[in-house]
Amino acid sequence: MNSLQRVQPPVFPIENIVIPDPISFRLSNGVPVYFIEAGTEEIMRLEFTFRAGQAKEYLPLLASTTNMMLSEGSQNYSSEDLNSLLDYYGVFYNLSAEKDQAGIVLFFLSNHIEKILDLSREILFRPVFPETELNSLMKKRLQWYMVNREKVQNLAIDQFFEAVFGKHHPYGYQVGEQDFERMNPALLLDFHSKYYTPDNMAVIISGKIHEKTTELLNYYFGDIPLKKIYTEDSVNILKGEKRKKVHINKPGTVQSAIRIGSSTINKRHPDYPGLKILDSVLGGYFGSRLMKNIREEKGYTYGISSSVSSLDLTGYKVISTEVGKKNCQKTIDEIYSEIRLLQSVLVKKEEMAVVRNYMSGEMVRMFDGPFALAESFKSAWEFGLDNSYYYRLAEKIKTIDADEIIELARTYYNIDELYEVTVGSK
Amino acid sequence: MINYSRFSLDNGLRVLLHEDKSTPLVALNILYDVGSRDEDPGMTGLAHLFEHLMYGGSVNIPEYDMPLQMVGGENNAFTNNDITNYYLTVPLENIETGFWLESDRMLGLDFSQKNLDTQKNVVIEEFNQRYLNQPYGDAILKLRPLAYKVHPYRWPTIGMDIAHIENTDLEQVKKFFFSHYAPNNAILSITGNITYDLAFNLTRKWFGPIEKRKVQFRSLPVEPAQKEEKTLTIEKDVPSTALYKVWHTGLRNSMDFYTLDLITDLLAGGESGRLYTKLVREKKLFSEINAYITSDIDPGLIIVQGKLMKNIDIRHAEEAVNEVIKGLQNRNGIKDEMEKVKNKFESSTVFSNTSILNKAVNLSFYELLGNPDLINQEVDAYRNVTQEMVIEATMSYFVPSNCSTLYYKSTRKDK
Repeated sequence: MNSLQRVQPPVFPIENIVIPDPISFRLSNGVPVYFIEAGTEEIMRLEFTFRAGQAKEYLPLLASTTNMMLSEGSQNYSSEDLNSLLDYYGVFYNLSAEKDQAGIVLFFLSNHIEKILDLSREILFRPVFPETELNSLMKKRLQWYMVNREKVQNLAIDQFFEAVFGKHHPYGYQVGEQDFERMNPALLLDFHSKYYTPDNMAVIISGKIHEKTTELLNYYFGDIPLKKIYTEDSVNILKGEKRKKVHINKPGTVQSAIRIGSSTINKRHPDYPGLKILDSVLGGYFGSRLMKNIREEKGYTYGISSSVSSLDLTGYKVISTEVGKKNCQKTIDEIYSEIRLLQSVLVKKEEMAVVRNYMSGEMVRMFDGPFALAESFKSAWEFGLDNSYYYRLAEKIKTIDADEIIELARTYYNIDELYEVTVGSK
Repeated sequence: MINYSRFSLDNGLRVLLHEDKSTPLVALNILYDVGSRDEDPGMTGLAHLFEHLMYGGSVNIPEYDMPLQMVGGENNAFTNNDITNYYLTVPLENIETGFWLESDRMLGLDFSQKNLDTQKNVVIEEFNQRYLNQPYGDAILKLRPLAYKVHPYRWPTIGMDIAHIENTDLEQVKKFFFSHYAPNNAILSITGNITYDLAFNLTRKWFGPIEKRKVQFRSLPVEPAQKEEKTLTIEKDVPSTALYKVWHTGLRNSMDFYTLDLITDLLAGGESGRLYTKLVREKKLFSEINAYITSDIDPGLIIVQGKLMKNIDIRHAEEAVNEVIKGLQNRNGIKDEMEKVKNKFESSTVFSNTSILNKAVNLSFYELLGNPDLINQEVDAYRNVTQEMVIEATMSYFVPSNCSTLYYKSTRKDK
């Protein structure tokens, strides 16, 4: 048809990433603020983050309920007013309480900055936690919980965290039906007064940052006094359960969920970048070994993946999949044999090249645009790290060799230490 | 304002280009004008199965994903009733690899039996995971044939019967490819950090040599106007009872689409939507409720779906939903609400257009609708909806004879 050479790909090296450093300063009361100027549209992403996640809670659901109730009414606005106003200004917002951090992220057109800061102060520092709204939220949450407990993947991940972090630590314990009845406004007010404080807060702003932002931030947040109260951290200790294998019977399901993994190092550890790369080889991208073997070769599943995540006190790695129940044991066997392979056979040059290049591309995406930049900044900042973490990761992606992969697989994937959780009908 | 240029090749491939120098990436989106509506009723699910087969190797390239990962690229695809859409993003240095990959699989596939067998299994597991192994997962499988009697929208994209997937053979697959996958049945959008000249030259180089194909002529049965209310009750072991109500709409390409879209936003856009405020917050009949309009090209559906709180009678809940919808005919207080949902629509459009990938997907789809400038015009179209239009549309579309209702009842005692 023509002389076009279609067999060889046209490949060029990817340039080194350049990550803009945020501008940082403090409000009059000392609250740290980070500005990341980026993007072409007149929009902003505004995040208020607090050390107010589950790790701080003394009852299950307390951190998430306090967080969800922030927009349910304040000293000056009813919950309906707050939500109507936020909608009126075209704001998209997410309240969230993760294992360590909690807070709110708002997305809006830059010219609304003043109104948004005013409403944010109401939400974050003047909530009233009305009882009627709380009761109705807890009823709804119980229903969502009941629906979620029908899904094998949710049962599996909850059980996995319990196995890995233990029944007594907020990272690990599972929520039960009775926990939904325990919440009351006094508890929420107490949790809020201890953890939603300027002492505990940081502000991350990205996008086309409105010129009056600094001044307005100081006006709305700079005069809130520090509390300087001492809060004791939970005395509960992180400790995995003894039993490594757990099966939950869930009659009538056509697929079984599998979660295999354990606690591990977090971002602060020097081996972490290497572990991220090892994880990619195993199950961290579409062309990973697990995807190739379990999905593309055998067709046992729609998807299988592995991931490594960091928490403040620890980290964890987990392999996740849902498979037809007759293939459950076969899949588990294959997962272990893929791990053994990584511990014994050098990864070939070609495969290393694919992983290196895939991850380099991912790093370009992690710093593309104002939203991605803010998220990447935050996920290093939370651990007391800065962009040098990402430069170390980028360097490791370029230089890691097959021997180091074997070494890491032997150090961090000891099969005897892995927890194995399955949920389904036998 | 999103600036773009258009050109087409002699083989019929239509191309749209939007330059955005603020990103280190380029996105390619290739839309094939084929969806589940183009399937034979005896062989449904093929368009979606095909999306999977497109990754199993093409004429000159044994595997799609590996070379893309090799240049730091990422890709995915989706299939719906109307289209099959493939997209990728890649660091700008390596955009040519994207052209190389996409053009080769348009040229032809490897058509291996092994790949077909594996992907059939993957799709069956996808069916199990999405529709059977989730509470309420099968509701949409029941709703479509209730609402549609003759139009192919009566089956879902995954297929009306999983046996159709199981029975597909290689001959059918080949025939499907050559009658739907063709330069003259595709729309390519290129967005991101790339110049017009480079985009034009690369498109001509890689897609230009692919010959035009004879594309299967589309002649779909028209769904006759629904005459009377339809209902279906099913009972399942789920935590709570759910209510689904759907109404037929007009064409995607009609002004009514924006009116109905705005109506669903008044009903359920954000936490301050009417259904949420009245039925979740105030009356506590539902634990969650949502309303949306499908973006189907042929007449689609407005869908309202909600999960009931414990011990609420489903007829009572349904009455309350009808009451809220009827309230849209009342002029009082609606003005501020309309301004609110219009602002929200505008800001969501601005946010969506910060992503080169969204821009690429949207440009291709709007070109298929016949007007790529919709990417700049939809906010105005939505802003131009008036109170009169809302009242009129509420009265003409939300009538019982245009409605199908699914009562998805929980068999649990303490429901």
